[in-house]
Amino acid sequence: MSAVPTLLQADLLPEGLEIGFKIVPAVIVVGMMTLFLGVGFAFKVADTDDMWVAGRSIGNLENGMAIGANWMSAASYLGMAALIALSGVYGLAFVVGWTTGYFVLLIFMAAQMRRFGKYTAPDFVGDRFNSDTARALAAVTTFLIGFVYAIGQARGMGLVGMYILGDITQVVPIPGLDAYQAMMILFMLLTIGYLTLSGMLGATKNMALQYIILIGAFLVGLFATGWAAGYSTFVPQLQYGALITALGAEFSAPFAGGSYYLWIATCFSLVFGTCGLPHVLVRFYTVENERTARWSCAWGLFFISILYLSAPAFAAFGTSLYGDQVGAVYGDPGMSSAAADVIVVLAAQLANLPPWLVGFVAAGGIAAAIATVAGLFIAASSAISHDIYANIVNEDATQRQQVLVGRLSIVAIGLLTIVFALDPQQPIAALVSYAFSLAAIVLFPMFFLGLWWENTNRQGALAGMTTGLAVWFVPMLNEANFGILTTPEGQTAFVPFLETWMPAIGAALVGVPIVFAVTILVSAVTDEPPLRTKQMVRQCHSPEPMPKNTTAAEVVADRTGETPADD
Amino acid sequence: MTDNDTHVRPDRDRPRSTDETVPDRPPTATGDARQRRTGHVHASADGDPASRLRTDGGAADSHRTDGGRTDVEREREIDYLDVEINLLNPATPFMRDHLRVIWIGFGVWALTTFGPITATAIAPDAMTTTLPVIGFPFHYFAIAIGGPTAALLLSVWYARRRDRIDEKYGIVQPSADAPPDAEPDAEPTTAVDGGVEP
Repeated sequence: MSAVPTLLQADLLPEGLEIGFKIVPAVIVVGMMTLFLGVGFAFKVADTDDMWVAGRSIGNLENGMAIGANWMSAASYLGMAALIALSGVYGLAFVVGWTTGYFVLLIFMAAQMRRFGKYTAPDFVGDRFNSDTARALAAVTTFLIGFVYAIGQARGMGLVGMYILGDITQVVPIPGLDAYQAMMILFMLLTIGYLTLSGMLGATKNMALQYIILIGAFLVGLFATGWAAGYSTFVPQLQYGALITALGAEFSAPFAGGSYYLWIATCFSLVFGTCGLPHVLVRFYTVENERTARWSCAWGLFFISILYLSAPAFAAFGTSLYGDQVGAVYGDPGMSSAAADVIVVLAAQLANLPPWLVGFVAAGGIAAAIATVAGLFIAASSAISHDIYANIVNEDATQRQQVLVGRLSIVAIGLLTIVFALDPQQPIAALVSYAFSLAAIVLFPMFFLGLWWENTNRQGALAGMTTGLAVWFVPMLNEANFGILTTPEGQTAFVPFLETWMPAIGAALVGVPIVFAVTILVSAVTDEPPLRTKQMVRQCHSPEPMPKNTTAAEVVADRTGETPADD
Repeated sequence: MTDNDTHVRPDRDRPRSTDETVPDRPPTATGDARQRRTGHVHASADGDPASRLRTDGGAADSHRTDGGRTDVEREREIDYLDVEINLLNPATPFMRDHLRVIWIGFGVWALTTFGPITATAIAPDAMTTTLPVIGFPFHYFAIAIGGPTAALLLSVWYARRRDRIDEKYGIVQPSADAPPDAEPDAEPTTAVDGGVEP
């Protein structure tokens, strides 16, 4: 794969992409952003309960679309096609990982999580393991996930933004910033401004809308590109097959872009990362009952699959057009990762589609990034304001204080993301997959064991999560991500052996079993959790439906007449 | 969490089984659990006819043998707060039915997700054969289209199977159209509280 760190301050300039201000696409983007903000304002709320989970009143179709919009980030919209174009079959690990993970989530966790009835991942971990330290660890993890994930989104916004608005540094010279950086900052500021104004109720309503805009833009772009370039007529999702042989061995030869092990490791990370991602799980709390949670998961996968079955077609069309009009895709120099990351927009442009249509496709990419950043930042800010501030720092916090801290933490994570996205060292999909590794390693084992093994206790969870965080950082630092360390000349990692067997992009294949083992072992040698905790786990599996707004803990307390356990 | 809607709770005055209040005990007592069943009115039971069947009072105590009873009958006697959750050894008929579906689904999922790439690693020549008409190399088709489609079909399969299990055990989900909260008279013994979490 293309995991080659670029030089510091390398200008990210997608070759072949027409960079310049285009009025109609700009109007489309501005109109879209205004629409988002308008809807956001309409649902603006001051009450924290409404802010976090949208009053729990959403049906399965709408929730499925919200899952789709939340899911389809710039990584799916832009980054996946990029990796498929650059790395061929290896890129398909993303298609498979990011879809099939939903089935595992559905069978093992969706309804059980809903029954447990907690707003956020830190709430779940804190209550299940009866520990504020565990809650804080989960909150920190949630924050880190949001941050790492958002770096990829920021990169996508910056790159695609250049097609629409051009190089704004030529209009307003900003010292020290290149075209990509200025554009990325502009869009991140817009996203943060939008987020600080609207809570999750607005965001949820927007997300069904955003899904429709997003999938509409992607499909219209795909059909039009295939049609205009003569590759396809009515089913581009199948018709790109005929093109594959002509695209060269790199596109379709089994292990040309990454080894079998790397494929499995990446896919595994993405699957179990899906099951550990807080911004996905929170979607199951917004529905009226468990059946709706299950079906909205299935609907969510359906809406996601529409995009995921189309992305390889876009990649194939883009690769073919690039090869015909820009230069050789593979070899040296080949297609840059910046160009690959905009291959969806580039394909539409190279197929000579009218600028408004290309702009529409580009706007979809930006909508994808905004929708995902919205979900991530809400999860991250709620982790800070709800789990760290209100639960640990200031137990008497008023709703007003919580909302304020929540908004401040959105600004903080936004600024942090901007700083690290100034010089992103990897393509979008790779950046995002680091967040998946983290979710898979630290949170998935807590959720899974927490819901399915009642003897998992506080000590086990603390040991597991601490180990997990450490295990995640090892390959990240080994491969010199974040730009903090620099690897020796000619190497992409400090320890090549570790890079081969525990790549950061697929760290969960090694990390998840380690965390499972640590958690189980420590739980087994320490005291069992109190009966009340076990009963909470049991309550999550009972077939009895639970009324809305009830948690497993409340049912247990109600049934046994005990106050919350305090071990 | 704080919610303002008033919802119905099961009665708090009913006699409790003494076992429920003992601090901790080995979680293996699933066999006893069935006999210890005391006929609780469960949280969501208010209002819908199917769950009203579950307010079986002491009647269940008169059936102490497992002989000749259906899964549904045995299930009704189980208090989930007394049974251990075990992924491999389900303690109740419902859990057994549910876990069977889960494990079958997981097995098929593992095959459709990791099978094609593994087969390609083992037999690259056979897997890369070009398919007639659509022109895909077989491995590409199986991974890019087969994987996601299989997961989608499996999800629908699972959600339906789970609905059927619900049907078998007479589980009716509360819905927005007929919320249990809307029928405060359904249970004479219901208590009303604000649902404020400690």
